[in-house]
Amino acid sequence: MSEARRVLRQALALGALSVLVAAAVNAPLIRRFVRGEFRESFFQAAEYPGIRLITLEEGEDLWRVGTAVLIDARRASLYKEGHLPRAVSLPAEETAKTLPSDVLALPREGTIVVYCEGGDCQSSLLLAKRLHGERFKDIRVMTGGWAGWQAAGLPEEKSDGRK
Amino acid sequence: MVGNKTVLFVFRMILGGLFVYAGVVKVLAPLDFAQNIRNYDLVGRSLSFIAAVVLPWLEILAGAFLIAGIWRRGAALVVSGLLVFFIALTVATIVRGLDVDCGCFGAIDRKAGFGVIIEDLAMLYLGLCILFSKKGRSSKGTVPLKKANSPGSAIS
Repeated sequence: MSEARRVLRQALALGALSVLVAAAVNAPLIRRFVRGEFRESFFQAAEYPGIRLITLEEGEDLWRVGTAVLIDARRASLYKEGHLPRAVSLPAEETAKTLPSDVLALPREGTIVVYCEGGDCQSSLLLAKRLHGERFKDIRVMTGGWAGWQAAGLPEEKSDGRK
Repeated sequence: MVGNKTVLFVFRMILGGLFVYAGVVKVLAPLDFAQNIRNYDLVGRSLSFIAAVVLPWLEILAGAFLIAGIWRRGAALVVSGLLVFFIALTVATIVRGLDVDCGCFGAIDRKAGFGVIIEDLAMLYLGLCILFSKKGRSSKGTVPLKKANSPGSAIS
């Protein structure tokens, strides 16, 4: 066998071995994926007991009750164009090091609803994990996001308070 | 390319060690890595998951084989191939203007940028040195020659 072919066969064998080991080690995780557990996000709820993914309807209910703090995790420019009424802007990309003091001053037991663009956006979950790290105990991530909220024809607010 | 045996040994240890480390940190958090891959916005959720499950083990095995000196050129081919892919991916990410964590060494926050490309190029150089080294070539290929040329084997 030529040297090049032998090296290629070694590489392919390494690839096959990796697939086998990966399948064996991750069998429980693969089963969960096949069951559709990570359809919304690659998120292991057990690691973050204070975080729950909620539907748009649940988010709307919390918004109507009015006791939860609503946080918009999108970029500030998107927030200015329109957001959930009463939502505050806290772009996830600006919170890598520390969260603002007014957020840190919030009661840890209160409900916080976080959202981002919608679809496959991850900034709300990223922000939720940071809030979890600050020991907030009830963080809800609205998976439908802003796109879902708009599509449902729910009320909007501009940054200057216009509706 | 480098032909010195000791230098190639050091290259194998460095490259193998880096790949084992990169693989282990990803194996410890496969879902975080899956999200990293998904954030590149090149493949869907299923492929991101499959890659996140398999890729770390490919890194670990190729790295370990490099260190152990087993199938060293095959392992160097895998490592070099992965690095070419990582470089292309990072270049594409910069061109597309995406702001994503590279996911190179698990949870360590690093953006996919020029620094990552330079590191990958340095590692690629090590990988190619091992891949094209004469020392790494199979003993199988040289055995018949040795036998044919060996006076001892001909006499006995």
